[in-house]
Amino acid sequence: MISVGKSVNSQQSIVNIKKYFPLLPVYGIYLLLFLIGIIYPEMWSVVTLLAFYCALGQAFNIFLGMTGYVDFGYVAFLGLGAYGMALGIDVSHQTGLNIGIIFIGIILGLLMATLLSLVVGAVALRLRGAYFAIATIGVNEGFRYLIEGAKLWGGSEGLIYFRQLNEAMGREKTNVIVTFWADVFVLVIAAISAFITLYYMRSKIGYALTALREDEDAAKVMGINVTKYKILAFITSASMAGMLGATSWGLKYTHVFPADVFEIHYTVEGIVIILLGGAGTLLGPAAGGLLYGLSKYWLGAMFPGIQLLIFAPIILIIIVAFPEGIVGTMKKKIKGTVLERYIA
Amino acid sequence: MLLQQLSGNLTQGLILGAIYGMATMGLNLIFGVMKIVNVGHGAFIMLGTFVSFAIFTYLGLTPIVAIPLAFIVGFALGSLFFYFIIGKLTNAPELNSLLATFAIGMLIEEVTKFIFGSEWRGFTWDVGRVTLPFTVLPITKIYAFIISILVVIALYLWLRMTRSGTALRAVVEDKEGARVCGINVDRMYALSFSIGIGLTVMSGVILTFFISVGLNPYMGGAYTLRAFVIAVLGGLGSPLGAFFGGVIFGLVENGSYTLLSLIPGIEPFSLTRFVTFFILLIILLVRPTGLLGVK
Amino acid sequence: MKGRWLFCMALILLFLSAGSFGAGDALAQAPDKIIIGGPISFSGKLAKEGEQGLRGTQAAVKWINEVYGGVKIGGKKVPIEYKYYDDESKRELTTSYIERAITVDKVHAVMSPYSSPLVLAGAPVAEKYGVVYINHGGASDRIHEQGFKYAVQCYVPGSRYHVGALDMFKKLDPKLKRLAFVYEDDEFARSVARGAKAHAEKLGYTIVFDRFYPKGATDLTPILSDLSATKPDIILGGGHFSDTQLLGKQIADLGIDVKAINLVVGPALPAYGETLGKLAEGIMGPAHWERGAKFSPDVAKKTGMKWIGPTQEEYRKLFKDVSKGVEPDYHGASAASGVFALVLSIEDANSIQSDKVRYALGKLKFMSVYGIWDVDDDTGLQIGHSSIDLQWQGGKKVIVWPEEAATAKPCYPRPTIKDIIAGKTCK
Repeated sequence: MISVGKSVNSQQSIVNIKKYFPLLPVYGIYLLLFLIGIIYPEMWSVVTLLAFYCALGQAFNIFLGMTGYVDFGYVAFLGLGAYGMALGIDVSHQTGLNIGIIFIGIILGLLMATLLSLVVGAVALRLRGAYFAIATIGVNEGFRYLIEGAKLWGGSEGLIYFRQLNEAMGREKTNVIVTFWADVFVLVIAAISAFITLYYMRSKIGYALTALREDEDAAKVMGINVTKYKILAFITSASMAGMLGATSWGLKYTHVFPADVFEIHYTVEGIVIILLGGAGTLLGPAAGGLLYGLSKYWLGAMFPGIQLLIFAPIILIIIVAFPEGIVGTMKKKIKGTVLERYIA
Repeated sequence: MLLQQLSGNLTQGLILGAIYGMATMGLNLIFGVMKIVNVGHGAFIMLGTFVSFAIFTYLGLTPIVAIPLAFIVGFALGSLFFYFIIGKLTNAPELNSLLATFAIGMLIEEVTKFIFGSEWRGFTWDVGRVTLPFTVLPITKIYAFIISILVVIALYLWLRMTRSGTALRAVVEDKEGARVCGINVDRMYALSFSIGIGLTVMSGVILTFFISVGLNPYMGGAYTLRAFVIAVLGGLGSPLGAFFGGVIFGLVENGSYTLLSLIPGIEPFSLTRFVTFFILLIILLVRPTGLLGVK
Repeated sequence: MKGRWLFCMALILLFLSAGSFGAGDALAQAPDKIIIGGPISFSGKLAKEGEQGLRGTQAAVKWINEVYGGVKIGGKKVPIEYKYYDDESKRELTTSYIERAITVDKVHAVMSPYSSPLVLAGAPVAEKYGVVYINHGGASDRIHEQGFKYAVQCYVPGSRYHVGALDMFKKLDPKLKRLAFVYEDDEFARSVARGAKAHAEKLGYTIVFDRFYPKGATDLTPILSDLSATKPDIILGGGHFSDTQLLGKQIADLGIDVKAINLVVGPALPAYGETLGKLAEGIMGPAHWERGAKFSPDVAKKTGMKWIGPTQEEYRKLFKDVSKGVEPDYHGASAASGVFALVLSIEDANSIQSDKVRYALGKLKFMSVYGIWDVDDDTGLQIGHSSIDLQWQGGKKVIVWPEEAATAKPCYPRPTIKDIIAGKTCK
């Protein structure tokens, strides 16, 4: 949180806390998800799915929603995160660190994704609009084929490490960590991302990014260091993705194949979630994740085989009827009411 | 030996590249005029391959018949989607139309699956082959090459010589200016979207002249990615650039194999993909708006 | 504020300690029906194979309920119920639906999804709840090296796919030496390649070409021209369906004449010949099952093995009933064998408790329409089943290897491309 200096009086610190009121509905959703999953074990399967989609949206939103730049290659950061976990476990499973290897994996995933984002940010963020979007596809695909072609990290055969986890932590612990705690971590990442989103929104960064989103050239002329904030949002978003990949893919599936983790489809899913909910809003990704995940889950369970045929028109209707997403539209409706304070 | 292989691969790459380029022009036209990235691009290519498949397999006709038919189908679908969905989103944020094209692509895939099933389809249309000293070319591939070139020329002539083509170019260059000059911009939007989709579906037919197997409702994804890269290589918004981008892409994708196969301990075929994407990044660094792109 | 958070934390801890994960204990008594289920792909890139798995399972369940009369447990016969979901070929939905099948539908055994990556993704979930996991869709050897306690495999492990073919070639023409490998670059095909390589070296072959093409490649011309320059006698390769289709087409396009071609997955499916037409002539491929395979109650009796399930023609009829006319291939037969194995092991154990059923599965050895089924007691790796080799001859698939199962003589050498295009067939 923001450190409150000695000279700041209590009134100001209340203002500071008030700034964070919009976190309440978001955290309420995540807590509710968690509690539902815990109280009704048969609901855990839905919760895991929703947690992933919410976290994906929330992490991606920091960059895509706030800057308006589309990073098609975003999935590369998740993929590298998953590789971070895989490599972490592979390297350290015999060190006797027990559960510690999970954290080595998460940190490694975070580092690898951040490192890539630094490189991509420095190079590709010089491009604008669709050129940037497609350059990032190049990075993602290039990375995938580099791993396969140069036979890095097991090449196309990937890494499978359930056995290593068993050796390091024992069977019982592995089962619980892989199928329960991995999903809890995902929720935590969603929560952290939400906090960062709001922190950025309520600080100078947010104003700079809004200016950038509206008109990049004008913002530059006004003397805003656009590049700095753009790269900051990019790196933050990427490092969240790295952790998300490490837990929701690396830890949960206990295997990594390059063709699976560099699948552009996940980026598109992230965009869909953010837009359904409302780009650049705090609550949007959570709402979009819930909507997207629930529709997929129930339609797939109810109408196996034709669920996407039903789902596609639903997306089209929402996008035409609510061009600013659910939360975006809601925000307009509640302007001037008490609720406004809680929705961002 | 090596040289022979290289020239063989380059010849094949040239043909494939021409098809890739042709398949990207629709995407580029739509982007140039409306600034919409058609994420469902591959689904329309897939649709074209199924038109070709149906004409050949069910009606027993030569797939050449499918070319105009596919264009008409695509044009009709394009107009339909424009009037009901895309046209309503022209004032919404750019990302919305992206999401809409994603959903449209999904719809096309699912409807195709509903009708044709998820079977991998394919057909064999054989009209003989030409043996060159360094490679063998089935005549269908030569057809594909010639037709692609003809389509490019036709598009070029349309953009340069006709009234509507000139109006379209005016919209690409300056939307507001075009409006002031009395051009009906919304009509140009509809026209470019319909023609763009028409060209894309048509390119699916031509693709089957090169590769007539592996047809499946979900086959489009690989082509969408390629089309994106090619579009950017050549410069977004420039249909001709797309064609040259495609040729470069095809040449690099096929040609680099021979060179990479000299390096021991790696998998050359996978690395050709790495090389193409790497070249894309280099080109973008040197020319941030592609080879023939306008800013 | 602080108090509220502490309260929440306490609440969470309470729920955590209360949330027990043992689902199997209460089910020790004989139930009035056996529930099996799980996700399978009928959208997305695995939709084709997924549908086969679904129909195979349904056909087997139908046979058990209608012909066999149900599963005998605790002195009575109870029917099987099958619950399935569409995983869209995606990991997220796979794990989620497996968990749903276990916690909501309370399945007694999970039927796996199709493809090794998805099977791998789902296995830890079945482990967590201690539910038997019938892996009828993942051929990777490595799945069963991970120490999953409840997973059993139905396919022949990948490393053995091309072993039979090499034996056949050795017998057909011992003088042949030059082998070319052209496989898809993924985990499964690489395990096939590794197994083939080891066996080829044992048989004294020289591998003149050994390259992989990336997953999703749509043009194989470069790798094939490279291959043709090495002048091989035999081509081994493949990976999935669409790429083997492409191999067949482009080998013909480039006019590469070899004595024999044997590709994994594609040629075993009916659609291969339909799409390639005469170009499929003479192409071989291993399969886990094929119509015409000589497995029947009589054969079982002769070898002293337990037989269960419909005969081949009955199976085909059942399958076409539930699939509305689709021809069965080995993906379906494998899933069906999984159901039969489960039924027999539940009867042997006279219980539906996962540990007992899994123990019985380990001990079980039986024959069905799919062939012999026997898994390693500990790892669950399939060791009893062996694959057969098929060949397209005159537009039809015939079994050419092993000799005791063959329905036709292998067509060797393959006619030249020129002759094939001119209409020459193997017959």
